[in-house]
Amino acid sequence: MGDSPLSVEWLGTIGYGEALALQEAAVADRVAGRTGDRLFLLEHPAVITLGRSTDPGNLHESPDDLRAAGVEVFEVGRGGDVTYHAPGQLVGYPILDLDALGRRDVHLHLRLLEQGLIEALETLGVPATRVEGWTGVFVDRSRSARPEGPERKIASIGVGIRRWVTFHGFALNVSLDLRGFDAIVPCGLSDVQMTSVAAELGLAGRSSASPSDASAREALDERVRNAVARRMGVVLSG
Amino acid sequence: MSINVELPSLGESVYEGTVARWLVAEGEIVEVDQPIVEVTTDKVDAEIPAPSAGMIEKILAQEGSVVEVGAVLAIIDPEAKENAAPSTEPASVPPTVAAPSAPTATGSQSAPSVSSEAAAATPVARRIAEDSALDLREVQGTGSAGRVTKDDVLRHQEKEQQAAPIAPIAPIAAATAPVAQAPAQVPPRAREARRPAPNFGYTLQPGDKVIPMTPMRRIIADHMVYSKRTSPHVGTVAEVDLSGVVRLRNKHKNSFKDTYGISLTFLPFIVHAVTRALREFPALNASIVEDAIIEKQDVHVGVAAETEKGLVVPVVRHADRLSLSGTAQTINDLATRARTKKLSADDLKGGTFTVSNPGRQGNLYGFAIINQPQVGILRMGEIAKRAVVRQLDGEDVIVIRTMMYLALSYDHRAVDGAPANGFLNRIGEILEAAEFDL
Repeated sequence: MGDSPLSVEWLGTIGYGEALALQEAAVADRVAGRTGDRLFLLEHPAVITLGRSTDPGNLHESPDDLRAAGVEVFEVGRGGDVTYHAPGQLVGYPILDLDALGRRDVHLHLRLLEQGLIEALETLGVPATRVEGWTGVFVDRSRSARPEGPERKIASIGVGIRRWVTFHGFALNVSLDLRGFDAIVPCGLSDVQMTSVAAELGLAGRSSASPSDASAREALDERVRNAVARRMGVVLSG
Repeated sequence: MSINVELPSLGESVYEGTVARWLVAEGEIVEVDQPIVEVTTDKVDAEIPAPSAGMIEKILAQEGSVVEVGAVLAIIDPEAKENAAPSTEPASVPPTVAAPSAPTATGSQSAPSVSSEAAAATPVARRIAEDSALDLREVQGTGSAGRVTKDDVLRHQEKEQQAAPIAPIAPIAAATAPVAQAPAQVPPRAREARRPAPNFGYTLQPGDKVIPMTPMRRIIADHMVYSKRTSPHVGTVAEVDLSGVVRLRNKHKNSFKDTYGISLTFLPFIVHAVTRALREFPALNASIVEDAIIEKQDVHVGVAAETEKGLVVPVVRHADRLSLSGTAQTINDLATRARTKKLSADDLKGGTFTVSNPGRQGNLYGFAIINQPQVGILRMGEIAKRAVVRQLDGEDVIVIRTMMYLALSYDHRAVDGAPANGFLNRIGEILEAAEFDL
């Protein structure tokens, strides 16, 4: 561990635009050395983000239709493809100075984010793995209750680097309503099914309106948040 | 002499990258370290900074092209001071990392991808705006989250035509300048302000003020809700006789001021007593992590303070290692820096218990919300003289004493009533004994 371990901050639900502004400010603070390394954990209200290189074919519904359905559509200035965020998805934005950490390697950063998520998922009883050639975290089907079918993706990753300080990060599906992904082709991968911690553990996701499901879901959200905070904290400051 | 901007190594297994977007144009003056181009590799967007100040003499790698590590992306002329491009205006526009409030640049017509980020608009609205050379940022959006819709654009055009029969001709330089500076990923502050107001079935009435939450307010709000939802709060109140502390304070306050240059208030006594009691009741100096309760070795006491920006809780670190005067000085230092906005992130981190001192009149007692992930918070009531019953020579008599109510909120998941009451009672005993080294 370095001199200043990673500070993990749970921010609750924050709009996509506001979170971008927070990250911008945090990157500036980190570049200037005003703060140490930080990891923001948060949730976004339902939002679809479109990268500049988004293939229009990866969006199944028109932005106007989506907005009418209460889903914000956000056009971001980054590369990459379409993403979907919603309550019940744990979003993590690590603001790390890779240079100060002696890890000037963007691919290593991606692999460490995957590592932290895989370790957290394993402690939660979800067998997780990488799939060669695809950034992100997938369910290890061979060790799961459903070994058959297409690859099941449980977390997406995409990062930005400014002067070796990272921003953006990961989005782990915990208990969100997976039907939200129907509007998009996640990360442009069409033969991949999206899954969540709740789905893998056989628990009700946000599609259920039952109050007992809702409280179980909150407990799950919190358990996942704690597991990710701890494993990611260890892996990223390592 | 010219300087080459090369694609730097971004990691061991990174051999090439795709030029995603130029943030500057040829002829533009850049500062050293200013991000000038975004390069994408796998799932990473890296901003490449200028290795030197100067003028972008030539851009060699076009957007969309794949370049190898070490390849020259652009050439910078470090001696050029003036912009050689026809228009000098864009060069003075702040760099892409400018603060969210930076004024947006002109020139959306020549850089539609830029305007699409600067102003939120529907695709139809954007097309109409582009066709008629209209800057979307001038249009008031009424769509969801303040997006500019087709109707907004048409309404705006109509209004402009009525207002100015002869449309003002935009300066050529502004319309054609190769500007690519609009903050790439920072939403304009306007968008924040246009967040849809929460709907509690309330219809806005004339004269109502709508105050958008600042990010700070939002964080406080979310934290409060999170804490209440997470921890079953139980409240308990103790009445404490501070007469002994008052006597001690009166005796020492002048010499204290002379020695340390700060006033001796009641707060350090309370924090000191809390710290001593926490040592005896570690159950209150704890956190819940998953299925375990972590009793902490260190005692770091947060002292809640209100500032212009909102509520902050700077932390007296290792409060148990401090004398009363050390505690007083630390609190004074934190309070001063909270007021002058000089607190660092470290000052706010790692508290294991919190003391809240609302310190205003009209505050007999009240229960604070636990500062997660702690399991307890103590809130001071107002300090006032009250008539209380004491025994004097075996007789019950009514005497006047300086009293205070102390209200403890604790997390019933981690702490039961007996230790919580024992802890609170112990704080009272320590304060009433008034045995502090000064």
